[in-house]
Amino acid sequence: MYLRDMSLRHFRNYESVDMTFKNGINILLGKNAQGKTSLLEAIYVLALARSHRTSSDRDLINWDATAAQVLGCVQKQSTSVPLELDLGKTGKRAKVNHLEQAKLSQYIGQLNVILFAPEDLSLVKGSPQVRRRFIDMEFGQMNSRYLYNLSQYRTILKQRNRYLKELRNHKQSDLVLLDVLSDQLAAFGAEIIFERLKLLKELEHWAAAVHKEISQGKERLTFKYVNPLEPEQLASTDSIYEGLKALFEQKREKELFQRTTLFGPHRDDLQFFVNDKNVSTFGSQGQQRTAALSVKLAEINLMKEETGEYPVLLLDDVLSELDDSRQTHLLTAIQDKVQTFLTTTSLSGVARQLIHDPKVFHIENGKLLE
Amino acid sequence: MQYPEPIAKLIDSYMKLPGIGSKTATRLAFYTLDMDEEDVNGFAKSLMSTKKDLTTCSICGNITEQDPCEICRDKTRDQSQVLVVEQVKDIMVMERMRDFHGLYHVLNGVLSPIEGKGPEDINIASLLKRLQVNKEIHEVIVATNATPEGEATAMYIARLVKPAGIKVTRLAHGLSVGSDIEYADEMTLSKAVQGRTEI
Ligand SMILES: Nc1ncnc2c1ncn2[C@@H]1O[C@H](COP(=O)(O)OP(=O)(O)O)[C@@H](O)[C@H]1O
Ligand SMILES: [Mg+2]
Ligand SMILES: [Zn+2]
Repeated sequence: MYLRDMSLRHFRNYESVDMTFKNGINILLGKNAQGKTSLLEAIYVLALARSHRTSSDRDLINWDATAAQVLGCVQKQSTSVPLELDLGKTGKRAKVNHLEQAKLSQYIGQLNVILFAPEDLSLVKGSPQVRRRFIDMEFGQMNSRYLYNLSQYRTILKQRNRYLKELRNHKQSDLVLLDVLSDQLAAFGAEIIFERLKLLKELEHWAAAVHKEISQGKERLTFKYVNPLEPEQLASTDSIYEGLKALFEQKREKELFQRTTLFGPHRDDLQFFVNDKNVSTFGSQGQQRTAALSVKLAEINLMKEETGEYPVLLLDDVLSELDDSRQTHLLTAIQDKVQTFLTTTSLSGVARQLIHDPKVFHIENGKLLE
Repeated sequence: MQYPEPIAKLIDSYMKLPGIGSKTATRLAFYTLDMDEEDVNGFAKSLMSTKKDLTTCSICGNITEQDPCEICRDKTRDQSQVLVVEQVKDIMVMERMRDFHGLYHVLNGVLSPIEGKGPEDINIASLLKRLQVNKEIHEVIVATNATPEGEATAMYIARLVKPAGIKVTRLAHGLSVGSDIEYADEMTLSKAVQGRTEI
């Protein structure tokens, strides 16, 4: 798939722009603080109905306006789909084919994007939260069932955490309700963990291939899903469900003491190994970056496999963060295959030599210069 | 300049209604000023009467002019089934369908710790007592919404009621009648498949 065109109204520092894109590499060129990242953000918002850099939609609306609008047309293999997202002070409305969607989970997935920003280079080294967020954003786009289970899980988790607090403060005393909430949480948690394991296995397969190539065959990348259950308990959703329920049962006192839910997908992590050594502790910075890049490139293939279409790739200031050989690898992997938007303050070196016939947008202070 | 006191008070009253802010309240107050005296009297009477003439049914929690309510008094209804709903409004919806002839029980909410609602804050104790006293009841049908909180409430009731040997059932979730499978969202479809029935 590719994004054919996009219009913004009162989005961030853009008052009104209309753009037509190339199904190839689009370069957003400009000095700092001119609106390059905001443009990528608009594409991200069009795809996922939320921003990657703020949790408040209000931040997306131009300071002098009360509502913003992002419109775009996605070209797929056989059809084109107009998307529209209206952001107001009180909420957002999402339309597919001019029809308003009652649930955002029905909207998300029409346009698939993968964002790669300098922070993503710390995917390997960063906190577990970063990796869980990464997993949930990517898998949620590919699979609306995953997204649904995740949103139910989050609601029940909030309820359960609150109830643990109230039990501890003696505001409530009924343990049957705690059991019910544990049961519900375990059921949705099991679905999420099982789906994660399945998709991570595929992602690992692709990432290992890319990593091997970048390291010229010298390094073998593997994943490990970190979770308190025994390996044999991870075999099916039923056994994960039973395993989580048993944990809740055994560790009730501890959870009550800490007033929070200590087990479930919101606590799990993903670790990366190169030649069987944990990259986050034993890897060089170069190995960590190669692993992160491999995972990002692997997502492109996984998404193609899961949805039948290549996603749109958003690269925010990453070229300057990669050395020549990694830049070369990235650019050859995506060229002629994946529609790409990349922001940069200057076009030079490897990128200038390698990218043939890009469409360049010069961006200055929320406007496009021809 | 300030509004004369009667108007100011009326605006204040309108603002107590859900979803009405000062702008709408002001518009409604001035509209009321222009209404026929007779209509305004009728309006005021209805308002008074909802408080004066309506009470809650001591058996099922329905709103009624006479306690127990019409449904609880009607001995021709099936005394063996109790349908449990979140709100009084839901009884009206079920009654309009005319297919259910059993009794009701209004929870007046769902279990939601975030909103400060635990088992003691909704009408679960009164349901359990009713089941203890009334040996005719053989089935409890839980018709709470298909939200996480509605499901938790249904599971909670099942855990307490089942050990007493009373059957607990849940409304099936699935496709809406007259709708095309093609347009159903994935989760609705998946629930419909899970809850399929033999023909
Ligand atoms: N809601 C908004 N309304 C108007 N301007 C904004 C808004 N949010 C951010 N900006 C401004 O937009 C400019 C562009 O930011 P950004 O897209 O991050 O620039 P770049 O990526 O080109 O460095 C910044 O100067 C920022 O202050
Ligand atoms: Mg930027
Ligand atoms: Zn009654």
